[in-house]
Amino acid sequence: MPTVEYAGRSLQVNEQGFIVRPEEWDEDVARFLARTAEGIEELTSDHWAIIRFIREHYLAHRRAPMVRAVCRTTGLHLKRIYQLFPSGPAKGACKVAGLPKPDGCV
Amino acid sequence: MMADVPESPFLNLAIPPHVKMIYLDHGATSFPKPQEVYELMDTFYRRAGVNPGRSGFDLCLEAGSFVDETRRLLCAFFGGTDPNRLVFGHNSTDALNLAIFGLIGKGDHVVTTHLEHNSCLRPIRTLQEDEGVEVDWVDFDDAGYVDPGEVVHRFKKNTRAVVMNHASNVIGTVQDVAPIGNACRERGIHLVLDASQSAGVVPVKMDDLGADVVCFTGHKSLMGPMGVGGMYVREGVEIRQTRAGGTGVESARRRHLERYPYRMEYGTPNLPGIAGLNAGVKWVNRLGLGAIHAHEMALWKTLRDGLSAIEGVTLHGQEPGGGERIGVLSFNVDGLEAMDTGTMLDVDSNIACRTGLHCAPMVHRHLGTDEIHGSVRFGIGPFNDREHIEKAVSAVAEIAASRRGGPVCTRV
Repeated sequence: MPTVEYAGRSLQVNEQGFIVRPEEWDEDVARFLARTAEGIEELTSDHWAIIRFIREHYLAHRRAPMVRAVCRTTGLHLKRIYQLFPSGPAKGACKVAGLPKPDGCV
Repeated sequence: MMADVPESPFLNLAIPPHVKMIYLDHGATSFPKPQEVYELMDTFYRRAGVNPGRSGFDLCLEAGSFVDETRRLLCAFFGGTDPNRLVFGHNSTDALNLAIFGLIGKGDHVVTTHLEHNSCLRPIRTLQEDEGVEVDWVDFDDAGYVDPGEVVHRFKKNTRAVVMNHASNVIGTVQDVAPIGNACRERGIHLVLDASQSAGVVPVKMDDLGADVVCFTGHKSLMGPMGVGGMYVREGVEIRQTRAGGTGVESARRRHLERYPYRMEYGTPNLPGIAGLNAGVKWVNRLGLGAIHAHEMALWKTLRDGLSAIEGVTLHGQEPGGGERIGVLSFNVDGLEAMDTGTMLDVDSNIACRTGLHCAPMVHRHLGTDEIHGSVRFGIGPFNDREHIEKAVSAVAEIAASRRGGPVCTRV
């Protein structure tokens, strides 16, 4: 399984760059994934609102939230979320939030 | 005592009832149905939901008569002459499987097109790979039409059938089938027509098109429910049975019956589905195909003109020059995968559409959209109106603008 090296740590990722063990995630990992996977140099408060909601939902339900729920909770239009995470909520935000690759939903 | 049944999570609908969705996915299934479809399914199944034609009691005979009435209705709809050759099944895929596997076999050659749905592609490829059936694939032009002369040009001594769709589920072009059908009949070749998208919106008449078998589904433009469809098999065409089972009559026979409709029907039919289809076809007949098609195409033209004026939107199979169409339109927004565009339309604008390859991968290979995971498809139905189309065009324009770095409304 491929790994990425970050600040002396080795993170296992799948072939699409999603980290395999969500428990290895922390906010520094999020910044690293945002920069390397999504080209985001600085995470804004809107980025963090999305990341935190997705992550909390995942930890509570072991699955990613529906896109509608992300928009409803953060108050952001989906088009805005695509501007914040160019790969979109599933491939971009979930990856930065340290989730395994979602099947459906987000 | 009845056990407690937990409430189904599937009733926890994602869209609250006060939110009005604009439904533009009629190419996948028509929704909603005319009120009388829901009502007849409910009332008929409650009053006469017995196994039709299986027993001799009055209600059973009544249910059987109702199924026969629906056969006559659909037989006339497809220009058939023998209602017993209108057979019911689950859907187009089911009917096409029976027709393709029952008519084509080892040593045969078949002609088909790049416009086909997997309901044709996969059975044909199975025959190609497992039985060595020879297959010729005919491409379509930039406007989305197959040249009938090219189909006929591919005929060989061992050509057994032409299998093709009447209207494309991706780009909405209605093919000029009649010259192909006439050439088939002159040579004793079977024309198996997939009328999934065309039945209920443009005329599909066996003899006008020269078809030997017309396969249809009930849940699209015929306005019936899912799970019921079938085919009309022209007189003189005897499809080999690839299934066998209960018919409800002549049970002592060791083999499945050879006479129609039993020849192509297996087990208890979908009575509530047939009831819904009965009501749906009557609704279509009452409005008239011409009026339905004119309504949908007027909206399609507004949609095409609106989308084609948006910078960063590419329409597919819309080159000028060509014939008839149905209200289906495929496009992509530059820089976005179709699924992402569809999700934005859904979540930001409550517009339902279809995204992906639409079960027609060869169409996308031709269009070059296979590598970007397909296209977005709007499918227009009889209950859509101009406001729906205008909102859809605006929504796509906003998405395209957002990809060009333009301002977007950020807050819900």
